[in-house]
Order: sequence, then structure tokens, then C-alpha cells
Amino acid sequence: MIQFEKTILANGLRVIVHTDRSTPFVAVNVCYNVGAKHEDSSRTGFAHLFEHLTFGGSKHVPDFDTPIQNVGGTNNAFTTNDITNYYITVPANNIETALWLESDRMVGPKFTKKGLEIQRKVVIEEFRQRNLNKPYGDTWHLLRDLSYKVHPYRWPTIGLTPEHIEQATLEEVKDFFFHHYAPNNAILVITGNIAPDHAFRLAEKWFSDIPEREIKNLQIFPEPVQTEGRELTVHRDVPIDTFYVAWHMSSRLDEDFYAADLLSDILSGGNSSRVEERLVKGQKLFAEADVFLSGENDPGLFIATGKLNEGVDFESGRQALIEEVLKTAEAQVTPHELEKVKNKVEAEQVFNEIGYLEKAMQLASYEILGDAGQINQQADHYRNVTADNILKVASGILCSDNCNLLNYLSLKK
Amino acid sequence: MTLKRNNPPPIFGVDGVEYIEPIRFTLKNGVELFTMQSGDQEVVKIDFSFKAGSWYAQSRLDSIMAALMLQEGTKTLKASEIANTFDFYGAQFSSSSSYDYNYITLLSLKKYLHHLLPLVSEIIRDSSFPEEEFEIVRQKRKQRAIVDSGRVGLIAQKSFLRNLFGEGHPYAPVASPAFFDTILLRDVKLHYDNFYRSDNMTITASGFIDTEVIQLITENFSSSWGNSDTAERGNNHRLPIADKMVFIEKEGANQNAVAIGKLFPTQNHPDFPGIKLLCTILGGYFGSRLMSNIREDKGYTYSIQASPISFLHHGVFLIFAEVKTDKTEATVKEIFLEMEKLNSELITEKELIPIQNYLLGRILEDFDGPFARAQTFSSLREVNMDFEYYNRLIDAIKTTTPQEIRELSQKYLAPETMSTIIAGIR
Repeated sequence: MIQFEKTILANGLRVIVHTDRSTPFVAVNVCYNVGAKHEDSSRTGFAHLFEHLTFGGSKHVPDFDTPIQNVGGTNNAFTTNDITNYYITVPANNIETALWLESDRMVGPKFTKKGLEIQRKVVIEEFRQRNLNKPYGDTWHLLRDLSYKVHPYRWPTIGLTPEHIEQATLEEVKDFFFHHYAPNNAILVITGNIAPDHAFRLAEKWFSDIPEREIKNLQIFPEPVQTEGRELTVHRDVPIDTFYVAWHMSSRLDEDFYAADLLSDILSGGNSSRVEERLVKGQKLFAEADVFLSGENDPGLFIATGKLNEGVDFESGRQALIEEVLKTAEAQVTPHELEKVKNKVEAEQVFNEIGYLEKAMQLASYEILGDAGQINQQADHYRNVTADNILKVASGILCSDNCNLLNYLSLKK
Repeated sequence: MTLKRNNPPPIFGVDGVEYIEPIRFTLKNGVELFTMQSGDQEVVKIDFSFKAGSWYAQSRLDSIMAALMLQEGTKTLKASEIANTFDFYGAQFSSSSSYDYNYITLLSLKKYLHHLLPLVSEIIRDSSFPEEEFEIVRQKRKQRAIVDSGRVGLIAQKSFLRNLFGEGHPYAPVASPAFFDTILLRDVKLHYDNFYRSDNMTITASGFIDTEVIQLITENFSSSWGNSDTAERGNNHRLPIADKMVFIEKEGANQNAVAIGKLFPTQNHPDFPGIKLLCTILGGYFGSRLMSNIREDKGYTYSIQASPISFLHHGVFLIFAEVKTDKTEATVKEIFLEMEKLNSELITEKELIPIQNYLLGRILEDFDGPFARAQTFSSLREVNMDFEYYNRLIDAIKTTTPQEIRELSQKYLAPETMSTIIAGIR
């Protein structure tokens, strides 16, 4: 159980505070309701590029890093398809430095030509390092593009291509800021060694003078129901053949999500899971295999993948994994399996309630979904799932018409 | 009152890191148990460490394979039964190998410990090393090594260590995935028999530790096992003269990996705290000189770091980055220029003070919560040190003068002593 208090400032900023006296630190976490899904399809990678740009200094702060180092803190940020999240951790008595910086980031970044030029280069190097220079690095580009035809989950946060980032102009950058970065489109979470009323007073002091702004989001069209299976085969300079099978599933808030999550655990969470026991160890088809959820807020993907062992025929290996997954649409999982994955989820939730920063991020992500209080409801959602729920969800998701198959083959063969 | 955003809030220094020492118990068999109690979540983390890392392996992969085989079967339990028990109680069990030590870690809700500790005890004493599981693990690791052999970053880092230590040295990674084919099950089993013994083990428990937890640990780990006549391995490896420049071709690379460095003092060396400060200035934090120059000013890379890395018997210094291929030469040149600058110019107060405060904040993190404290304690103990090291580190951070920093740089960062490894395309 995570206790927290919440208030909303006059400008629309939601402020959430959780006190944890076991640490000498506080976390200041600001989560903006803007991610790659809010991008124009001809300007992808923008939310992430923008995250980089905001570290170049803001209206009244020449550079972000020195003040944080000066108070013994650390800071970083990440962008997903749904959100952009910034965080600072500082020894508790230096919380005002963190609030000064995060509030000024919201007032407005320092937009300069040179800053944009450099960060464009840095992000393109990040693109190369993560997606082009690494074996299998373009997997998500291919899989998303295959699985989504309409919804902006079609591209990963780094963007569709480095060209979109190369072409970003200063005008577009400014425009992006004023349409998305605003107190009424953000959540401030403060966790750690601080009392709620003190935290609220300081939040008011640093954030209340930032004006509400008009948020202009492009309309996000839902992905139409897929009516025909799709298949894509690519050949790359990689050592081992692999494949991905992706089925469309529910959104994060749907009750079906919990059943799907437990199902993926039954299939491949841990060494005693079905895939590990039957296909990796039993039939020795795979060196590694995994079944997991893409885990986004809007309707996401239920994914199965495996790297085949040397000498295993590609088609039959792939078929074996697909069949193992499909079995769950035909017969109920056993009571033992269900109890096992529920215990696992329960333990993981307790493990996750230990770090003050992790708690801040989780509170923010549930508030983005509509209600931070959901953090304390999750255990119940999981506990209530029945074997019948899982069977129903599995047979709903795992149809061939709803299936996207990516064959990722080694050039050497 | 209007807010003056141009005026930063006052800065409060980091003072008084609280070193909470663990409580120490000696079990009947002589095993030392250290406990760090704190926190109100009923979670317990128990670490078992053995002097059994690659340093001790007859053939280099024996130690890692021994670690990976532990949960693959015991005299009474099959791998699937072991896996099912850990999974059923939602526990996280890991068995790993490093340069000097092998580790076993159990993270569990306190309420399930009485189901899990007897199992961990059986795994440590009575692993059976079945042939069939061995082949699965071997194949799995080999596949992973094959995938890794396509990554320029790992190619450069591994050849960096091989260049400094020489092929065949226990700290040098193996050159080819084919090495996995040469491992023999009986050697791996022998490694286990020799080193996973009670008199070669230390236990550290952290989190929600009460008398019940201590009682459970005592019950399960107090008897003696293993033959204790295995001799300590001395340091009689002769190190080669490292090449100054190594290039490894990787066709089609989109970025080149650059690794620059040398052998370095170990953590117990009196200069190490000062060296830590020096390396932080050069490449140890986001605003470091290498990051400011090569990422934030030139945009050649996503990330570049310089760090002192200390094993038990040797230390190394490593600067590492993955860079735009056509900027490889320019990056190497800038790296050496930055070292020369440290050797010739004095650092200003303006640059030094934030670094001091940044490092003091990291020290505070090393003691933040029972798990971090236990980790800090264990990693010092492994190199025969204690929290006293932090007094010296804090002292070095606060009092090392710009002159002394320059002297340290001249002593340890002379450009002509460095080896440069590049993996990628010319």
C-alpha cells in the first residue's frame, strides 16, 4: 500500500506527494502527457529529440547539470510512445534546486540553433548505436510498422528514420513545446524524505506562476480491427534466425489486460514456464524464447519470439512456439500455474514498492492513465483473474486474422 | 512576492554520511553472516559469495558455467522442480560469476523464506551437474556469445582486456564463441567441488531481518561441507607488453567503438580516491570534459565515459565510446587532448566544486537503504577493505587541490602509456 496525497494547482498542474522517511533523498518527477504517439507521421522522433533539447538549459537556467551536481543530485529523462518523463533526485534539504530546475523547464527551454544542431547529431548517433549498429536493432521498427497501419504506435520513440530528426527546424521545436509542455498537461510527483504539506507549499511556490496553455494534440485514430494475417520476411547481417509473432490486444486499463499479462507469465515468465520447460529445455528448439506484452497505454501487442538453436529448422521451430501459445486458447491453464503467476506478481509489486524514485514514476504513470490511486488496486485486479478469464482473453487475441509475423533471417544462410 | 527565477535556491552541502555497520555473526561452521536490517516492507535479500570467479578457474569458462549449472539439478531435485519452487513463491534467484567471486542471490518475501532456504542450501551443497542440462546451458551461452560477437562495443571492450592481460589470463575474456565447445563438464563440476564450500563462503542478508530470519539462515547453513584443502591461487600470471594500437575490422559497422586505457592501481592503493576524482572530471558524469566536448559540443557520440575499474588483483582505466565512423580519428585526438589538458592546466574552482558535490551525493546513495548499504559493504569486503575507505574518499574529494589533481594526472594519465583499441570500419 502506497500512501499519497494529491492536489491540483490553479493552472491545472496535478501534484502528488508520497513520504518515505527511510531515505535521505527526495525525487522530483515531472511527467508530461506527450510521447511518440502524439507526433506527426512526417516528424517522428520529435518527442524524444525534444527531451534531449530541454537539457540544454532553460529561460533562467544556463545549464541544467551544474546546479544538480552542485547539490549532490542526479537527473535524467526518458520518452516512451505514451509519455515523456523527467526526474531529479537530490538530498532532501536541496529539494528547491530540483523544483527550480523542473519549473523553469516548464516555463520554457532555451531554444538555440547550435543546441538544436548538436542534439540532432547526438540523437542520430543514438539511433545508430541502438538501432542500426546493433544486431536485431531494427526489430521494433519492422514489427511496429507491420502491426499498425493507422495508430501512431506504428513507429518507435527514436522515430521512423534519422531524416525526420535531421529535418527538424527551430520553429517546429518551439511549436511542439507550447502545444505539449504545460502545467495542465503534466504531473508533478514528489517522493522521499519530505512531509506532504511542505512539498505542496514548495510546489505552489515554484509552479503556480506558470500559465495554463492550450494543448493541441493531433487526433489519434484507433487501430482498425485487423482482418487478415500479415507476414514480413527480412534478411539481415545477423548470426541467428529469429522471428516475432504479434497479436493485437487490449489497452492498459481494460480488465482483459491483467489476464493477458498473467497469460504471458504462464507461457514464459521464469524457468518453470511452459515455453522454457517444453521448448527450450524439453525439445531444445530455442536458445531463448519469450512471450511478453508491449505494455503501452493504448491497445498494445501480445508478442512471442525466439532465437532458434543451431540446426533447428526455422519453420518447425516457429510453428512449435506458435502452437504452444495457441494451446492457451483451447484449454484452461491449471490452478497451480495460475496461483504461481499470481504469487509472482504479488512479490514483484512488493519489490517495486521499495525505491522512492520507482514509486514516483509509478504514481505518475497511473495518474497519466487517469488515477494514481490505481497503484494500490493492481494487486486486486491480478488476484481476481480466473482461468476462465484467461481462456477467454486468449481465444479473443490469438486468431490468425489478428496475427503479424516477422521473419528475421540471417543473410549467411 | 514574485519569484526570482534568476536566483538559484540556496545550496546545502552533503554532510554526515551515516555508515551503519552490519551486524556480524559467525555460524558454527565458521561462515560469517552479515546483516543489514532496515525498511518496513517484508522483503529479504540474501547474498552468498564464494571466492570462485574466473581468477580461480582452470579453464576460463569453468567458473561461469559452474554458476549457471547450479540450478540445473541436485541429488534429489530436477531442474524443473527447482525452477517451479522459486517461481511458485515469486522469488528471484540468481547465480552468477565475475572476475574474482561467484555469487548467489535470493530476493524473496520474508514469509516464504522457510520454503526457499532449504532449497538454496541443497543447491549450494549438492548440485548434480546433469549432462543434458549442461549441453542446453552451453548451447544457450554460445548462442549469446555469437550474437555479442556482432557488436562493436563488446568486441572493443573484450579485446581491450585481452590486450592488457594477454590471451589466457583469467581476467581476459575468451576470443571466440567456439571456446564454449571446449568446456568439459568434469572440469566445471570440479570447479564447483573446489570452491562452493562452506569455508569459502560469506553470507550477507539485508532488508527485513529479524530473529526469525537469522534463525532460518543459521538452521540451513551451519554445517560444514566441501573439501577445504584447495590451495589459494597466487598471482603468478605474467602480463604482456600491451600493443599501443589495435584495430579490429567489423564490416558494415554503423559506428566504430573506441576503447582507450591501461593497467591502473587497484582500489586499496592510497592514490585510488584521488584517481576516482580525476576520472570523474575527465569522464565520470554527465557534465564531464569528454561528454561536454565530444557529445555536447561536437555531437560525435551518444555517450562517452572514463572510469577506473578495480578487480582484486589488478585495476584498469578505460575510456569508452561508440562514435560516428568518420569521426573516429577526430574523437581519439580529442580524447588525448583532454588528457593532455589535465596534465598541463589547473582545474578551476568553478569546475571542481560541482564535481565534489556530485561525488558526495553518490556516496550518500551508496548508503541509501539496506540493500545499497549491504552492497557497499560487500564490495569493499571482497577487496579486503571496509567503510574506512569512504573516509579517505570523502577526504580526497574535499581536499585534493588543483595542483595535486594535475600531479595525479601526470602520474596516471600520460598519453604515451595508453593503448587504443578500435573496432569497426576504417
